[in-house]
Amino acid sequence: MRQFFPVEDLARDERFVQTNMAERMADTRVPGGGSQTSSKKASSRSSTNRLTPDRHDASDRARGLMHGIMVGEIQALEGAGRTAHDFDAGDGSGDTIPFALKLDMARQAWDEARHVEISAKLSAWMGTEIGEFQENTVLFEAACSNDPVLRLAGVNRALEGLAIDVFTQMKEFGDLAGDPYLEFCEDWMLADEVTHVKMGSDWLRKVTENDPERRSRALEFQQVVDKLFSFGGARGDTAESSFQLARRFRELAGFTDDEVDTIAELDEQALAERKAAVRAMNAASAAN
Amino acid sequence: MGDAPAPERTTARAPFAPWDRRDLPGMFDVAETARRVGNYKWAEMKLFEALGGWIATVPELDVKMRLGTHCYHHAWHAELWHKRLPELREMKPERLTQPANEAMVRFMDAMTEPEAPELTIEKLVGAYRVLIPRFIAAYTYHRNNTSEITDAPTIRSLTFILQDEIDDWRDGEMMLQSLISTEHDVERAAAHQARLEAIMVEAGGIAGPGTIGPTTVMNGGSPTTDSTTEGDA
Ligand SMILES: [Fe+2]
Ligand SMILES: [Fe+2]
Repeated sequence: MRQFFPVEDLARDERFVQTNMAERMADTRVPGGGSQTSSKKASSRSSTNRLTPDRHDASDRARGLMHGIMVGEIQALEGAGRTAHDFDAGDGSGDTIPFALKLDMARQAWDEARHVEISAKLSAWMGTEIGEFQENTVLFEAACSNDPVLRLAGVNRALEGLAIDVFTQMKEFGDLAGDPYLEFCEDWMLADEVTHVKMGSDWLRKVTENDPERRSRALEFQQVVDKLFSFGGARGDTAESSFQLARRFRELAGFTDDEVDTIAELDEQALAERKAAVRAMNAASAAN
Repeated sequence: MGDAPAPERTTARAPFAPWDRRDLPGMFDVAETARRVGNYKWAEMKLFEALGGWIATVPELDVKMRLGTHCYHHAWHAELWHKRLPELREMKPERLTQPANEAMVRFMDAMTEPEAPELTIEKLVGAYRVLIPRFIAAYTYHRNNTSEITDAPTIRSLTFILQDEIDDWRDGEMMLQSLISTEHDVERAAAHQARLEAIMVEAGGIAGPGTIGPTTVMNGGSPTTDSTTEGDA
């Protein structure tokens, strides 16, 4: 088995259809995808883009989101397993990670396996079939860095931070929709994700304690991933965002207020950029 | 009846209750226990790394999830052994975190070689039909032969770990039985198992020759292992 495993080789059965970030943004069935979330049609029916049961498209959106969560959990499982595998135990320098970090990654693999189990059950409960929506593999890409600290920043802090926001939203959706089953499961997954983000925060600080340059590279990478996974501002503090930043849970997971503010700014930037892109696209299609 | 004097009560009791049959003698001194525990930790680490690495390489969704779950089990075993080593006078656990011998290294290399998505059977055979049964054997021998009194902490870990190993072995074996559906599959599984088993036999088990104790009787009844007679041949 190779030391590092490329995203193109991720093993899937024939039901799965994989896609990249650009294609995903054009898929109108997923939150933040396509131009629908910012179109007049969508905003005329709802005062915000938040996923609430009274939306006309609530069922499809929730199903698409749950499928997205499930494939995200599969990749999180794969990423944690790879990090447990790819680096030898050592002092954290070079190609090594501390033994205790390897153990944490193995623990995370188990947690993510449960999350796949939970989200597969919830998807079935919601009437979704595996492979009904496309799988965006960019999550695993963030887990492919040759620097384990970048993986902690990109996966544990940025992506699992996003998971905290998404699960908080889904828990709320379950509550509003009167679905205690959904709310119960999201509550449990949220507890695990806070643990994983905290793992990322703690290890990132510890491993880069005497290497400020490596730390700042990791934090820069985290910002890139944070912005990418803002899904064009679908996640953010604004009313137009589908997902709010779950500030309290992020705090529990080791984020400082400043760090959450920075993510909110990145989300706003991403939203503005997406709006501009949609305007340009609409102008181009009107001209044709 | 009511007039009989109450018998005098005493709190003096034997140190061992009548039902407690634990005894002092054990086969392993502190150094030998530490050596074995170091070999166990090394092998558990190699196993959890392999299971973790394979998750992304297997297309079967149920297998993918079981590998993730089992990856943690073996990481936890490695952690228990890591923590036991300083209690056995090894203050640098890394020093004893070693393979039993060179053949064990070759075994792990051969076991972790399959990567392609169509090789799930080979991956599972290596872990669940060769390595984990060897863990069960090594741990059972250790638990049954160490001092029940002086080495109680190792026994406690062995008991927890053995439960995991047996449960995981059953999971893995059932996954294999569900995947092996043609004669060709049977041949693949058997061929891979034979190849790995041969290297494991060379290694003598997870803790090297004598992993599960002397197995033959020679020289007027004193037991010895094949490997210990090797040098005399
Ligand atoms: Fe997760
Ligand atoms: Fe997670």
